[in-house]
Amino acid sequence: MGAVLIAILVLPLAASVVCLKAPMRAAKSVSLTSGVATFGLALVLVSSHHVATALAGWLRADALSVVFLLAVSFLYGTTTVFAIGYMRPAEGLAEARYSRRFFAGLNLFAWAMAMAPIVNGLALLWVAIEVTTVVSALLVAIGDTDGAVEAAWKYVLLASMGLGIALLATVFMYYAGSTVLGGSYEIFYPKLLGAAPHLPPEIVRLSFGLAVLGFGTKMGLVPVHTWLPDAHSEAPTPVSALLSGALLTVSFYAILRFYQVSVRAIGPAFPRDVLLVFGLASLVLAALYLASQRDLKRLLAYSSVEHMGILAIGMSFSAPIAMIGVLLHVLAHAAAKSTAFFGAGNVIRKFGSKDLDRIRGGVGALPWSGPMFLLAVLALSAMPPFGIFRSEFLIVEGGLSIGATALSAVLVVFVTCAFLGLSWFASQTMVTPTPDSVVRSEVSVWMAGSMVIGLVALVVLGVHPPAQLSGLLERAAAELGAHT
Amino acid sequence: MTSLGTSPTTLNDAADVVALLVLLSEFAMLRSSLSRSQVRLYAFQSLCVSILAGFVAATRHIVELYGLMGMSFLLKVIVVPLIIVRLVKEIRVDVTASHRIGVATMVLLAIVLSVFGVFVVGHLPVHSRSLPILPLALAAAVILVSFLLVIVRNDVVSQAIGFFSLENGVSVASLVLAAGLPLIVELAFLFDLLVAVVVFGLLMRVHHGRTGTLSTQALDRLRG
Amino acid sequence: MAGIELAPAEIQALQDLTILVFAPLVSGAIAHLEGRLQARRGPRILQPYYDIAKLFRKETLVPDEASWFFLAGPVVAFACYLTVPLLIPVLTQYPLPLGYMGDILGGGFILSLAGFAVGLAALETGGAYAQLGSSRAMTFGALIEPSILFVTFTVALVTATDLPYFEAAAVRSSLGQAIDPAHLLAAVAFFLVVLNDTSRIPVETHASTLEFGMIDEARTLEHSGPAFALLKWGSAMKQLILYVILINVFAAPWGEAGSRQIGPVLLAIPAFIGKALGVGAIFAVIDSSFSKLRLFKITEFMAVAFLLAVLAVLVLFLGGR
Repeated sequence: MGAVLIAILVLPLAASVVCLKAPMRAAKSVSLTSGVATFGLALVLVSSHHVATALAGWLRADALSVVFLLAVSFLYGTTTVFAIGYMRPAEGLAEARYSRRFFAGLNLFAWAMAMAPIVNGLALLWVAIEVTTVVSALLVAIGDTDGAVEAAWKYVLLASMGLGIALLATVFMYYAGSTVLGGSYEIFYPKLLGAAPHLPPEIVRLSFGLAVLGFGTKMGLVPVHTWLPDAHSEAPTPVSALLSGALLTVSFYAILRFYQVSVRAIGPAFPRDVLLVFGLASLVLAALYLASQRDLKRLLAYSSVEHMGILAIGMSFSAPIAMIGVLLHVLAHAAAKSTAFFGAGNVIRKFGSKDLDRIRGGVGALPWSGPMFLLAVLALSAMPPFGIFRSEFLIVEGGLSIGATALSAVLVVFVTCAFLGLSWFASQTMVTPTPDSVVRSEVSVWMAGSMVIGLVALVVLGVHPPAQLSGLLERAAAELGAHT
Repeated sequence: MTSLGTSPTTLNDAADVVALLVLLSEFAMLRSSLSRSQVRLYAFQSLCVSILAGFVAATRHIVELYGLMGMSFLLKVIVVPLIIVRLVKEIRVDVTASHRIGVATMVLLAIVLSVFGVFVVGHLPVHSRSLPILPLALAAAVILVSFLLVIVRNDVVSQAIGFFSLENGVSVASLVLAAGLPLIVELAFLFDLLVAVVVFGLLMRVHHGRTGTLSTQALDRLRG
Repeated sequence: MAGIELAPAEIQALQDLTILVFAPLVSGAIAHLEGRLQARRGPRILQPYYDIAKLFRKETLVPDEASWFFLAGPVVAFACYLTVPLLIPVLTQYPLPLGYMGDILGGGFILSLAGFAVGLAALETGGAYAQLGSSRAMTFGALIEPSILFVTFTVALVTATDLPYFEAAAVRSSLGQAIDPAHLLAAVAFFLVVLNDTSRIPVETHASTLEFGMIDEARTLEHSGPAFALLKWGSAMKQLILYVILINVFAAPWGEAGSRQIGPVLLAIPAFIGKALGVGAIFAVIDSSFSKLRLFKITEFMAVAFLLAVLAVLVLFLGGR
């Protein structure tokens, strides 16, 4: 199993280097191979029940890591499919100028995000997430429009400041560990978790609070989410999909690692309160903002904020069912959000604008991706039989099981609010009659095909998750401390 | 009189004074109106941080920290300021955009933030083997004031320097708390900082290419 | 010369006399040095004495609208300036009997009373520039108060009293104390306060009488004759008093007499004057190197002084001493 980890370490990085020099065709196929292969490697890891390690312990994949690696690699694979159709320089689009750097950057971005779940230790985790920040900032700015430049500057500044706070949290946690483990030690997870019950409580509390604040900036928790709508809407669509689906979840993974240690050190009460505050704020604010959006991708970005809020609230319930729901939600949201962004990419290409007022009759104009886009948006609003329904159901069930009835009710109410916002948009833009000026055709087979993969995954997750996946989720929940 | 650190020795006092210089240079950054002087202040601040690393290396006899001190000196005192100064020279913009609030108000706000940071840290049960507790408190103050710097200044150079000084503050905190961090990790942090600087520089250049100035006052299109 | 012991009352009188006699000397020396630094010949070192003597021979002119306070003000100020040396360590390391009459806050209060008297006398005149200077002086004096307070707190936190004698003793106790961060910060903050209170660059310029920038100098524009002499003498004494606190409490409290023997006490006088001239030289160099701040930028200067004073207190709170 260690070989799998090393393969994941090497493959996307190699692909990125190759894409720097290769012509467009080769870059596309190399990226596609790398994406699909990485997803396959992640699937291999799902079936193993043991913790995989490599490189003398510097790489480590337990069940929790594999869940997030699965989400990242799935997105990597489908995004490369989409990007093949998106980057069509022959048609003289603006994207022609930056295509080579784009694929190199895409692979590098995916590499960094794949690294984060499988490196061992909080320090390397921080380094991986910092690399994702700098690479994605360049990718956001790659379009070189006014909005992209503004969004990229805001993003890199806010995210870096947030990661600075997260670094401080890591330093404090290291110090807490050093009171037990001695002045100089490798900050690997098993060691830290072993020493967790003896860590000084105030330091751990401070560290956890700072970690949620710092990594929450990258995750998109209110009130430090302000870069998110701008960056996700101004970036090229494949990058937006990766940002929303994978990067936010990887930042959530970082918070979960801190949660894992803190729960063993100071019990679930304090982490629960912190996560609840941020989660509620994100859910409420995003649901309210959704209703007033005019820009298609910004709408989806706020939906991401909402779902990150749901993740945080789900973790705050700290019941086993809720945790399984949260982890399933990570996977389902990755699939749904990417499909939604791909659909948005199709629609924007077709209509030539992101403005909601200009888009009419999407279903009619795009025979395949139109209805699929509609399905994806409905999936985001937790409609059965898609995966998000199942995961949110589990989260609410978990909330009710620990007696947090009021909170569960609030959760359902605001999810419904978000549904109203999304469905209003859907009714305005998608199911209206198509204007005569618009030709009824698909923009690109690749761009539509990537959506099919996402929807299939969602249905699988919603109707009947494979037994191995369920086992993985249960093991991951146990690692988080669900049974203590 | 609370005394949370080790018993006062001359080396500890000297370390305290150097940490104090780090905080004072942060305050000076609030006030300075020329981009070049901001960068020089950052170089001076990084120099103080390197000296502190040298202190820790001397008292704890960690040889690796001398290497770290050298690397951080090279990177933060020489390379990073060079990159930014070159960028500013190319753009030929000398005076940074004005602050949103007056200097005296800024200094008062910064004092309030520093007091807050110092008090929070003062109440933590931290016993460090490498440096007295005062540099940690001053590092907390530096971090808070760097946030103020980023919020109050509306030009990209000041904001970038604000971020870099935040990293300096976290470095001082890690010297106090985590001096034994494995060298690989420390080098990874430094390398990361270098990459971040390159990206910041690139984005500053792109920003200037788009808007023609270094001011962020134009960055208000995206709202809601 | 051993054996002759001075009574405490005599030493106290000697302290007052030192300040009284040597204040104009220090002023003159600073002015002369500044002239030399600026490549001029500079006025004679003893020039202030001649000025004061000349003024005592001149007649006094009083504006029509002024009341009795116009002439009383300078006298009140002079009396205050004679009182303060009783409270501070000018010549001795140990507190003198009357030294317990007032602490640093008390000394500060008396100095403020003197400033108030001069300012009120200036207001009496009804002249525009005198009033301008008076109001400015009051404002900036109020703004620099918090810094003085925090410096006092620093002293008080260290010694649990705010008698300046004990702070000086602490500084003398070991050389390591000299680089104690709280002490350094408080010393620099107080240095900035002295810059302000003695009307030096960057707050105000002695070199010219540009009315739009004058603060303290403008208050004495309307006085003449002996009252003016008292004012000039008084401001020189104020300068020397502030030097006393800066040197003998913060910066270099060595050379003072440890006993009541007449030898050490008399030696303390040139020691102190020497140190005062050294500090004066520093001020002269600052005067010649920097330019005056615009009036509205003086608040930044005061914010810096305040910042340093607050940091001194903070550092003490955390570092211990």
